[in-house]
Amino acid sequence: MRAGVAASKPNSKSAFSFGRAASKLGGRLTLWAFLIVMAVLVLFPIVMAILGSLKTNSELNAGTSLLPQDWQWSNYTYTWKEANFSLYAWNSIFLSVLSTIGILLVASMAAYAVDRREFHGKRMFIFLQSMMMFIALGVIVLKPQFNLMVKLGLHQSLWGVIILLVAGHQFIFFILFGFMKGIHRELDEAAMIDGAGFGYIYVRIVLPLLTPALGVSALFAFRGAWNEYILPLVFTMTQPKLMPLTVGLANLRYGYGGAVQSHLMLAGAVLSMLPILVMYVLANKMFMQMSAGALKG
Amino acid sequence: MRTWRRSAEPYLFIMPSLVLKLIFGVYPILWALRFMFYDYKGYGEPVFSGLANFERLMRDKLFWESVLNTFVYAGGKLLFTIPLALVLAVILNGKLRGRQLLRGVYFMPTVVSTAVMSVVFYIIFNSYNGLLNQVLKMTTVISEPLDWLGTDLAMFTAILVAAWGAIGNNMLLFLAGLQGIPKDVLESAEIDGANSWQRFRYITVPMLGPVLQIIMMLAIITALKGYESIMVLTGGGPAGKTEVMYLYMYKLLFPVSTGESIPQDIGYGSAVGFASAIIVGLITAAYFYYSKKTSRIY
Repeated sequence: MRAGVAASKPNSKSAFSFGRAASKLGGRLTLWAFLIVMAVLVLFPIVMAILGSLKTNSELNAGTSLLPQDWQWSNYTYTWKEANFSLYAWNSIFLSVLSTIGILLVASMAAYAVDRREFHGKRMFIFLQSMMMFIALGVIVLKPQFNLMVKLGLHQSLWGVIILLVAGHQFIFFILFGFMKGIHRELDEAAMIDGAGFGYIYVRIVLPLLTPALGVSALFAFRGAWNEYILPLVFTMTQPKLMPLTVGLANLRYGYGGAVQSHLMLAGAVLSMLPILVMYVLANKMFMQMSAGALKG
Repeated sequence: MRTWRRSAEPYLFIMPSLVLKLIFGVYPILWALRFMFYDYKGYGEPVFSGLANFERLMRDKLFWESVLNTFVYAGGKLLFTIPLALVLAVILNGKLRGRQLLRGVYFMPTVVSTAVMSVVFYIIFNSYNGLLNQVLKMTTVISEPLDWLGTDLAMFTAILVAAWGAIGNNMLLFLAGLQGIPKDVLESAEIDGANSWQRFRYITVPMLGPVLQIIMMLAIITALKGYESIMVLTGGGPAGKTEVMYLYMYKLLFPVSTGESIPQDIGYGSAVGFASAIIVGLITAAYFYYSKKTSRIY
């Protein structure tokens, strides 16, 4: 078999090399055409948003040219100052940073206990976590959650949103649980012999070793909170002062100061995407690693 | 004393997680399961009403139309997403110059907010001065602007937007799966003279089997549950053409500032939520059963 292939090789090379090369070239060309078309389609809306955000509204509506005639950087200062985006951005940062810290803390503590110790109800606890990933009741649960926050007096602030985001930590729990298994137990056992307690080992040994996983998880949790729309929408519907970027931006569809101003909406959209896009450019491998990890988890 | 402390420690560490899950995860589910049997409009006392909400559900044309729309939306989204994601993954799994860059580009839609991108798409697909119509007119593909968010095309547009956001993520999942296929199997098939289509059809796809099943299930569930981008893009309109069941549920529970308003009804909304969860569960189970059966052929 192998010999046959080897023997026919020089033969085929001389007889078919031209046709083969041509069809191979054609194949490569269609392949690259496909890849480029897909890349253009993916980038089209983002590029259009950036270009459009630098035009005047009338220029945007007329659509005579792709590039802005006069680069209207003032759209950004206007959106930032007059259309309240500085406030929205602060709200987004506040709730994303705090919920990310909360999620990492709660999920890593739970993952540590579940991985390192045996205790009654451990299987039930894991089942509870996984159940939360698969129940598809949708937005109904937001109603009792909102009522609870009213009772706790937290519906007038972003803390209600933050607590609910932290409560949805099951995905990060499973990711950290998976990584935790990879940290050798010998290390904590050695520390234990030296007299270190359970909490001390968590803070001084496990967390430092978990840093790469915590970094990836932080990225993921931050992205989730930053991009969250429905949850803050429900909580801040009547309180524009608390709106994060997603909610503030989507509200611009109903017009700002009477008319729908597409150029300002696009500037707002670019402002909202920018931090995540910058993070993505800097750490896109980490983002992708995390999403692929969902398959193994 | 020491042993008591030792056995208490793990509970102390899972406590924050457990408390949050019970209060904000389990309790709301039980709450919804209770109120689907109540007449509760959001004000006044809830009154037990037995199966009245489910009787209304059976007769509710709006709900069943939204179920149908959900199927069209999810089906269309999968039809665009899965083949393109798989093809991209297979290509980028090979030795190709610039594959890292391309992976990064295709994955990009996954990191940006669905709501924010839907605002951008809202401007792009706008019929009168939308950016897409401008580009299509400039390149003389069309002479009259197309009403992308109108009665005829709104669902198609919503599907395109959903696919735009989903292809990258599924591509990445497929790539992770493809890395599990030993390279020498594909190489020996190539030596045996199998062309790229045959290698794809008879080796890659069957060997992806279980991974393909998981990816498909995840994709089906997310497609059936998704409503965020529709909410921003069309709000379910025009005339309910893009109303999907989870969006319908949202409208029953929370006031919406646009479109035809549906009166708030929390009891009925809970019933709709329960029914929707059952529908998603049944479809996922049916797919699981069917794909198990067909995978025995290989």
